[in-house]
Amino acid sequence: MIASFDAIAALDVIEVVLALCLTGSALVCLFDRHLVRACCFFLAFAVSMTLAWWQLGAPWLATAELLLGVMLTGPCFFYALGHLSPGASSPLKHDTFNEPWSRVAMRVVLALAWFVMVGAAIRYVIADMVYSPSEHPLLLAGVVIAASALGAFALHRHLLRRLLAFNILGSGVFMLLAGVAGTSAAAQALISVGLLVAWLGSMLGALLIRQLLHLEGVEALGRDGALKERTT
Amino acid sequence: MIWRFGLFDSTFEPLASTHWALLAALGLPLLLGLFAALFSPKRALPVALASLPVLASGVVLLAAFEQAGLLRWQWEIAGIHLSLRLNGLSVLLLLMTQVIGVAAALYTPGYLRLSETGPLARWLWPLMGVVLSALSLIWLATDLLTLYIALELMGLAAVGMLMLSGKVPAIVAGMRYLLLALVGSLTYLLGVALILGHWGRLDLQGLAEVIEPGPVAWFAAALIGAGLALKAALFPLHAWLTPVHENAWTPVSALHAALVIKASLFMLLQLWSILLPETFYAPRVIAWLGMLAIVWGGLLAWRTDSLKTLVASSTVAQLGYLMVAFPLLLGPDIAPLPRALAWEGFWLQLMGHAFAKAAMFMAAGNLILATGESTLKGLAGTSRRLPLSLLVFGIASITLMGLPPSAGFTAKWMLLQAMIITQQWWAVAALLTGTLLTAAYVFRMFRYSFDETAPRHRYQPLAPGMDMIALTLALIAFALGLLAHYPLELMHGGSP
Repeated sequence: MIASFDAIAALDVIEVVLALCLTGSALVCLFDRHLVRACCFFLAFAVSMTLAWWQLGAPWLATAELLLGVMLTGPCFFYALGHLSPGASSPLKHDTFNEPWSRVAMRVVLALAWFVMVGAAIRYVIADMVYSPSEHPLLLAGVVIAASALGAFALHRHLLRRLLAFNILGSGVFMLLAGVAGTSAAAQALISVGLLVAWLGSMLGALLIRQLLHLEGVEALGRDGALKERTT
Repeated sequence: MIWRFGLFDSTFEPLASTHWALLAALGLPLLLGLFAALFSPKRALPVALASLPVLASGVVLLAAFEQAGLLRWQWEIAGIHLSLRLNGLSVLLLLMTQVIGVAAALYTPGYLRLSETGPLARWLWPLMGVVLSALSLIWLATDLLTLYIALELMGLAAVGMLMLSGKVPAIVAGMRYLLLALVGSLTYLLGVALILGHWGRLDLQGLAEVIEPGPVAWFAAALIGAGLALKAALFPLHAWLTPVHENAWTPVSALHAALVIKASLFMLLQLWSILLPETFYAPRVIAWLGMLAIVWGGLLAWRTDSLKTLVASSTVAQLGYLMVAFPLLLGPDIAPLPRALAWEGFWLQLMGHAFAKAAMFMAAGNLILATGESTLKGLAGTSRRLPLSLLVFGIASITLMGLPPSAGFTAKWMLLQAMIITQQWWAVAALLTGTLLTAAYVFRMFRYSFDETAPRHRYQPLAPGMDMIALTLALIAFALGLLAHYPLELMHGGSP
C-alpha cells in the first residue's frame, strides 16, 4: 500500500494531468460522431501535445507542434468541413455511416492486439528506454492513443474521421518515438519531418474530401469502407 | 550482403565535377518541374532540351564511379549526420530513373494535348519533378532520416499525381492510397524509433556494424517491413494498386508502376539485409507470399476486362518474382555462387520490369487514347490501324513473359539457376507457372486486338513520337537482356 503511494507520489502531477488530457481529447476526437466537435477536440489534443513536448524538455518540438499541428493541420479539418469557405452551409455535421457488429468486433480485436504488441515490445524488448513508462505517464498515454487510433482508423468509413485518426495515430507514434529514443537531435528531426508530412497529408486529404463532396455528396465519403481494405 | 549495397568506406574523395553532377541529379528534376509548371510546354522539343543536363549528370556520375569506385558524401547539420553513397547499383538505378523519367516527361505534352485533362494538368510537372528527385535521393541515401524524408516526399507527390484526373473513382482510390501510405510510413517510423532507441544511430554503415540479431532487430524489421510492403504493394497488401491505376493519366501510371513501388522494395531489401542477415523465416514468408502473388496477380490479369487493370495486375505478379528471390538473398547457408546469381537476377528483373512496364503502360495508354475504349473488347480491329502500339505492347510483354533475348529472360534464367542450385523446387514451379499465366493474359489481349471481323471505327490520331517513346523504352528492356554483362559488371563493381 505504502509502496503504491510512493509510486504515485513519484509521478509528476503536471505530467499526469497532461497525459489524462491527451488521452481524453484523443478518445473524444476519435469516437465522437459529431464532426465539428471531433475537430475541436483535435485542436485541444494538438495543444496538449505542444505542452507535452515542452514538459519532456523539447522546446523545438513544442514549437513545431504548435506551428504545424495547431496552426496548420487543425484548419485543414475545418476547411474539409466547409467552415472556412464563406457563406457555404456544409452538409458535413454527423457521421451517419453504420458499421455492422462483426466489423466493430474485428477492429476492437485488432486494436487490442496492437496494444498488447506495442506494450510487450516496450516492456520486454527495449529494457533501456530513455523515459521509462512507469515514471512517465505520457508514454503510457502514447501507447493507449496509438492503439485506439489504429482501431479507429480501421473502424471508420467516413474519410474525414479516418484522416483525424491518422493524425492522432501519428502523434501517438511520435510520443512513443520520443519515449524510446529520447529527444536527441536525430529523434527531433524524425518527429519534425513526421509532423510536416502529417500536415501535407492532411491538407491533401482535406482538398480531396472537399472535391468529393462537391462532385458526389456526402455518400461518397463512405464508399471506401465498402471495399476490402487492409491496414498491416 | 552489406558490401553489395556499398556500405563500406570509400578509397577516393569525390571530385568537384562529381559534386556538381550529384547536385544536378538530385535538384534539377525538381527545378525543371517548377519551370515547366510556369511555362507548361506544349511540345516535346523544349522538354527534350531541358532534360539533357539531367541525363548528363547521370552519365558524369557513372564515369566518376567507373574511375574511382565507391564514392561517399557525409554532412553534419545541427548534430544530425546525413550521408550518401554512390556504388554501381545506385548508379544503375539512378540512370534507370532518369531515362524513364525523361521518357514520361517527353510523352506528357502530346498526351495532355490529346486528352481532356482539365485545369489541373499544370500541376503534373512539379509533382513529377518531386517524384524523380526523391527517387534519386532514395537510391543514394544511406541514413534512415534521409531515407524517411525521400520516401515521404515521393509518396505524397505520387498520390497527388495519381489523382490529377479529378474523376470521382480516381479520388476515392487515391484517398485510400493516401491514408494507407501515411499509415505505412508511421509503421516505418516506429521501426526506426526502435533502432534509434536501441543502437542510438541512424547511419546504415554504422548500424550494419553494431546490429546483432535479437528481439529488437526482429521487431524493427517487422515494423519496417510491414510499412514498406504496404507502400510497395507486395501481396497481400496490393489491393489499393489496381483502382489507383485504373483512373490515372498514362505518364503517371508509367512512372508509378515502373519506379515508385520499386523504391520501397529497394529500401526493404537494403534495411532487411542489415537487420536480418542470415535469418531463416522472414525471407521465407516473403517468398511464400511471392508465390501466391505470382498466381493471384496472373489470375487477376487474366480475368479482367479492362486493359489498364490487366497491366496493373501484372505488376502484382511481377513483384512476386522479386519476392521469391528473398531467401536466396537473405537466407542462411547460401553458397556464394547462387547468392551472386540471385543478386544479379533480382536487379536485372527489377530494371527489366521497370522499362517494360513503363512501355506497356504507354502502349496501353496510346491504344485507349486512339480507340476511346478502355476495355479489352474495345480493342477489336486495332491490329490493322494501330500496329505500332500493339508492337510495343508485344515487345514489352516478351520481357514480362521472360522469353529470350529480353531482360526478363536473362533475369529469370539467373534466378532459376540459383534456385536449382539451392534446390528450391517450389520457387522454380512458381516461376514457371508465372510465365504461363503471363502468356495467357497477354495472348488474351492479342486475341481481341487481332479480331479482323470488327467494324471500322474512327480512331483519334496520336501525337508524333508517342509511340516511338514507348518503343524506345521497350527496346531498352530488350537490350538489357542482350547486353546484360555491362550492368551486371557494374553491380559487382566497387567491392572491397
